[in-house]
Amino acid sequence: MNKLAGERQHGGGPITNPNWLELLPEPVKSILHQLPHHILSVVEEVRIREGRPLEINGAGSHHYVTGQSTLTLDADKAYKPQREVSRRLLDLISNHSLYTMEEELRKGFITIPGGHRIGLAGRTVLHAGHVEHIRDISGFNVRIAREVKGAADGILPFLIDREGNRIRHTLLLSAPQQGKTTLLRDLARQISSGLPGLGKSSLPGMKVGIVDERSEIAGCLKGVPSFDVGPRTDVMDACPKAEGMMMMIRSMSPDVLMVDEIGRGEDAESVTEALHAGITVVATAHAGGIEELKHRPALAGLIETGMFERYVLLKRKAQGLSCRILDQQHRPLQLQTGSQRGVNFLA
Amino acid sequence: MLKLFGAVLILLSGTLAGFHQARQFASRPKQIRELILALQRLSTEITYGFTPLPEALRKIADQMREPLHTFFLNAAREMGPATGLTAQESLQRSLHENWKRTSMKAPEREVLHQLSFTLGTSDRQDQIKHIQLAVEQLKHEEATARDDQAKYEKISKSLGLLIGALIVILIF
Repeated sequence: MNKLAGERQHGGGPITNPNWLELLPEPVKSILHQLPHHILSVVEEVRIREGRPLEINGAGSHHYVTGQSTLTLDADKAYKPQREVSRRLLDLISNHSLYTMEEELRKGFITIPGGHRIGLAGRTVLHAGHVEHIRDISGFNVRIAREVKGAADGILPFLIDREGNRIRHTLLLSAPQQGKTTLLRDLARQISSGLPGLGKSSLPGMKVGIVDERSEIAGCLKGVPSFDVGPRTDVMDACPKAEGMMMMIRSMSPDVLMVDEIGRGEDAESVTEALHAGITVVATAHAGGIEELKHRPALAGLIETGMFERYVLLKRKAQGLSCRILDQQHRPLQLQTGSQRGVNFLA
Repeated sequence: MLKLFGAVLILLSGTLAGFHQARQFASRPKQIRELILALQRLSTEITYGFTPLPEALRKIADQMREPLHTFFLNAAREMGPATGLTAQESLQRSLHENWKRTSMKAPEREVLHQLSFTLGTSDRQDQIKHIQLAVEQLKHEEATARDDQAKYEKISKSLGLLIGALIVILIF
């Protein structure tokens, strides 16, 4: 992890919301607090499982943590949180009020201040065949959200249509955990704030609508974004994508509509609807490349009709993050590597 | 002269002690009633308002008179993000710090103590059930407290004076 930490530090960017540790109960909090800074700064997930080793994940590797705040791969030496810890953790992350979290328990995660998400596992309670909530919660996955301002600097100039004074329809592609959401978030912030620093291609701030089905882009807490997504941005939080896109189009008149991880048939329909309504769509999808995308029935149509004007392919490599930009006909425009500003960031 | 002054002093303190005791008997059922109303309000906040516990307790505290005002306010404060305490610990701490100032007795305290274990830790239906149970128990205690009041309030007043008189007679 140390080696990887070094690689990623230069472009990692500060965590603008480092308060996630404060919400954890003792002794987990002290144990993690005492970890060296270079490890703590690349932690992506903290996994707390009752009676099993405390685990941290980051930079593509996992380690257990001992009671003395050292890393180990030996599960027997690791610190094992007991029932009391998970009980306290649940009490603290639910603001002492689990009864206000019924919707969250149905979905299986709780968003805490700072936009961090805590995934939950336990015994589910069913009602009419659907999960109603989770009880006996004993597994927690603290996913640390990172906001990297300037992550989109490198690709933004390619997304601007200078003649039309607008943003081009864009699809961001990558495998999971490569930084799509971070990039999308920064795009929202920059497009919403306006782009004065780009010379001829300067643009005033636009109305941005984000449909945030999994509360990941804006990290909303009580409907208010935890991340800086720009002054002219509206967020439809925890809303199914297809439905949310239509709601946004009808009621919020966005110039740019942003949506994470499109993939189902109805998503593609809504995207088409938005494109024809004169609204720019910036979306992300799970795929290693355009060829892969063609094999997915829901998205193939969108690709073949040339709906998107720009494709951004992200890939995390050993030396950083690479980012290829293709035009409407899938011809490469520019190959960028992780050394350039704005393309290095954590997922 | 000095003897007379001492005798008056003893009589006076005996009477005051009696009146204090009588007031305790009178205010216990009143405070239990207030506590019941507070819990019913809490139940409404949970069912219809989805209000988080600290906020709900603060709201209730605003509508309460002393000493229950401080009890609820303290509990809400202890739940603040800086303390790292659970709902259970916060309630029990506030109970420990503020209980002496109330006129209520051990059974009522036990009801709140038991409630502290479940408050905030389950879904709405379960919360309501537990609060309802606590309210029922408190109602029972209220009835006992009223009986005690009818029986002992007046007696304590006279008893204070009489004990004072007895001490005076014994000394002189």
